[in-house]
Amino acid sequence: MDEWIRQAESWVGQAEGWIRQQPPEQIYVAAAVVAITILLLITVSCLKSSKPNTIVLSGLSGGGKTTLFYQLRDGSAHQGTVTSMEENNDTFVLHSEQEKKGKVKPVHIVDVPGHARLKPKLDEVLPKAAGVVFVVDAQDFLSSMQAAAEYLYDILTKATVVKKKVPVLIFCNKTDKVTAHSKEFIKKQLEKEINKLRESRTAISSADISDEVQLGVPGESFNFSQCLNRVTVAEGAGSTGNVSAVEEFIREHVKA
Amino acid sequence: MLEELLIFTRGGLILWSSCRALGAAALKGSPIDALIRSCLLEERSGDASFSQDNYALKWTFHNDLGLVFVAVYQKILHLLYVDDLLAAVRREFAQIYDPKRTAYDQDFTDIFRQLHLEAEARAEEMKKSKQALSSRPLPPAASHKTDPKASGDSRPNAAKKKKKGKDDSDDADYTAKEALPNGNGTFKAQDRVLVLPKQGKENGGPNDNGAFDVSKLQRLRKNDRKNNTGAADNGAKKLTTKPSETKKKGKQDRVWDDKPSNKKLDFTDPADERGDEVTDHMAVNQGESMMDKDDNLSSDSEEDEQEVEDGPPKKKGWFSSMFQSIAGNNVLDKSDLQPALKALKDRLMTKNVAEEIAEKLCESVAASLEGKKLGSFTRISSTVQTAMEEALLRILTPRRSIDILRDVNAAKERGRPYVIVFVGVNGVGKSTNLAKVAYWLLQHNLSVTLAACDTFRSGAVEQLRTHARRLQIPIFEKGYEKDPAVVAREAIQEASRNKSDVVLVDTAGRMQKLADLSAVPTARLIDGILLTKFDTIDDKVGAALSMVYISGAPVMFVGCGQSYTDLKKLNVKSIVKTLLK
Repeated sequence: MDEWIRQAESWVGQAEGWIRQQPPEQIYVAAAVVAITILLLITVSCLKSSKPNTIVLSGLSGGGKTTLFYQLRDGSAHQGTVTSMEENNDTFVLHSEQEKKGKVKPVHIVDVPGHARLKPKLDEVLPKAAGVVFVVDAQDFLSSMQAAAEYLYDILTKATVVKKKVPVLIFCNKTDKVTAHSKEFIKKQLEKEINKLRESRTAISSADISDEVQLGVPGESFNFSQCLNRVTVAEGAGSTGNVSAVEEFIREHVKA
Repeated sequence: MLEELLIFTRGGLILWSSCRALGAAALKGSPIDALIRSCLLEERSGDASFSQDNYALKWTFHNDLGLVFVAVYQKILHLLYVDDLLAAVRREFAQIYDPKRTAYDQDFTDIFRQLHLEAEARAEEMKKSKQALSSRPLPPAASHKTDPKASGDSRPNAAKKKKKGKDDSDDADYTAKEALPNGNGTFKAQDRVLVLPKQGKENGGPNDNGAFDVSKLQRLRKNDRKNNTGAADNGAKKLTTKPSETKKKGKQDRVWDDKPSNKKLDFTDPADERGDEVTDHMAVNQGESMMDKDDNLSSDSEEDEQEVEDGPPKKKGWFSSMFQSIAGNNVLDKSDLQPALKALKDRLMTKNVAEEIAEKLCESVAASLEGKKLGSFTRISSTVQTAMEEALLRILTPRRSIDILRDVNAAKERGRPYVIVFVGVNGVGKSTNLAKVAYWLLQHNLSVTLAACDTFRSGAVEQLRTHARRLQIPIFEKGYEKDPAVVAREAIQEASRNKSDVVLVDTAGRMQKLADLSAVPTARLIDGILLTKFDTIDDKVGAALSMVYISGAPVMFVGCGQSYTDLKKLNVKSIVKTLLK
């Protein structure tokens, strides 16, 4: 043990001697180079992290998020999906863009499970979102209208979403089915439901939901155009590959 | 015959489906989704199997790769080889699995066919050998023990359903447990079960009732054992009766060593026994109900790393396990998880979680961690802790929204009053908390009516009348010795006549004819839970977890005191933290 200590001491002494031998300018230059490199690395990492480029797919369970995820990535829904228990998280180049020549930037997409018990996962992902796609089942809309409106309300009133003005796309999925509703109908119904929610939720005011923000203009009926962040509505079908609306949204909002 | 074997990722993508690959018919309904929603996400993945319509499902996980394997077969068939097959499939598939690939048809279909045949053959062999065993003449003393064993195997479905393990060793365990009550004469209920083994006949299909009795026996036995542990046992006994009852809005009780004092709530005026004249004009505004107050989450305390030094020494050498945990290649297996899980289970039980629930939870967490690779620099105990925290968070997060005000408004639009029935055992605090809820609703400008349907306990109607007076709300009462169902119905009619928004119905603690209370003939289950006397328990919050797990209903309110403002919402994060402290 002592021997090692002595060895170490002698090495340190040798190193000191060697350093003293070098001309001082060299040492200053070396130190400067190291400092500049560190600074550069820090600034680059800072810049990268401040611009989120994640698109979040959210919506009720059974809306078609996982199907949409695989459509965007692989161009097909493979053999079908079941209720997700975990999120699907991947960075990839959109399938439709893979044939394009030139540099195509990969996008980072997170598909958050819609089951109510897994709601906390959404809260983890939202702060990093550059855009949110809210998937609505256009075929089965009426029975799940209230729950969908509540989910959407929760997203629109999150402090991070409002502060960063995260754009939201309401994607009406499954429009290939005959009984699917139109996007205008869905939009109106959602606005009505959110209006009702506004009134009952403001009654709870400063309750335990501490990061809720007031939606819309008090006194007026709620309208998506009243939101500070942009809310748009589109339709398509995940299982047939009709997802161009989502792709446009992604390309628009993910900074290259 | 096996209807379907499905392999999918935890993220939801189906990787291989035997139906599609072999061209068989598709399943009716969607039992897989039902399995996920009502079992796997409810932290019941430690259960042996799940049944839906006429399908029975069994599953296994590959936690390291994040895969789930589910086998579906007809419930009436008692397939012996399913567990075996699932394990074999998991093994083979893990070898060919690649996260980038999504199509495994060509490779895996043949392997599966082969495994299926092998498993079926093995099961046939086992059945034949057991049959040969039982047909040999045996001495009478031993017949006591082996007959249950023989008939235990000829009732594979029941045995399989209730068994927790998959191997023969557990088979022996189970039959040993069965044998125990044979010798132990204290259980009367088992007479019926005893008859079958004594006759030594190979009954074709067991009654499910027979099997159910045995499992109830096991539970009773466990409860018996628990009697020595004091506080936990009452909770457990009530738990076993809970699932069979259908109630509206249930409140759960606690057994406490020290009863809370009744000083504050003693409003009886000695001057006037009828209590009408004394205008004890309590201002309706006693301040903001705590329902509406902010709950300060101390998020910085989430980093408290407790150094849990109580883990018993691992079986492997200390140095090698240390090295492995740094290198990060440690694969978790059941023996590693056992000590950590046991410690967690004990901790949960000291916080008043029922033993059954703690057991099931630990199994569910074990099922989700087995076979997982530990990351570098992580200890087993911290991994288990994180997994348990997530599981608890999932259970306590409500499955649907619990926005009462919204539901009330929805009912108002339909022109009918919103009825809340308070149900619960004696002494739990129903009437007190009913008053608190009334106060909260009043604060939100809703008109409330009370209905005194506790026509059994003397003083119940007076108690409610006093509350009604203090809160200045109408009360509907018909005195004592009346049929509570009738009173309730009339109360609701009266309320709709007076355009009242909400009707709060108080019921007796004793089990009156609750079924009659519902205006609609369909049986109703518990919609929500109101936990009472939360202020008296310090950190023994386990009952909240037990109740939510068993009933699947969310906790809507928490009563935490004797005054009108002491009604809170459940703060899930702080409960989880307290449970695992």
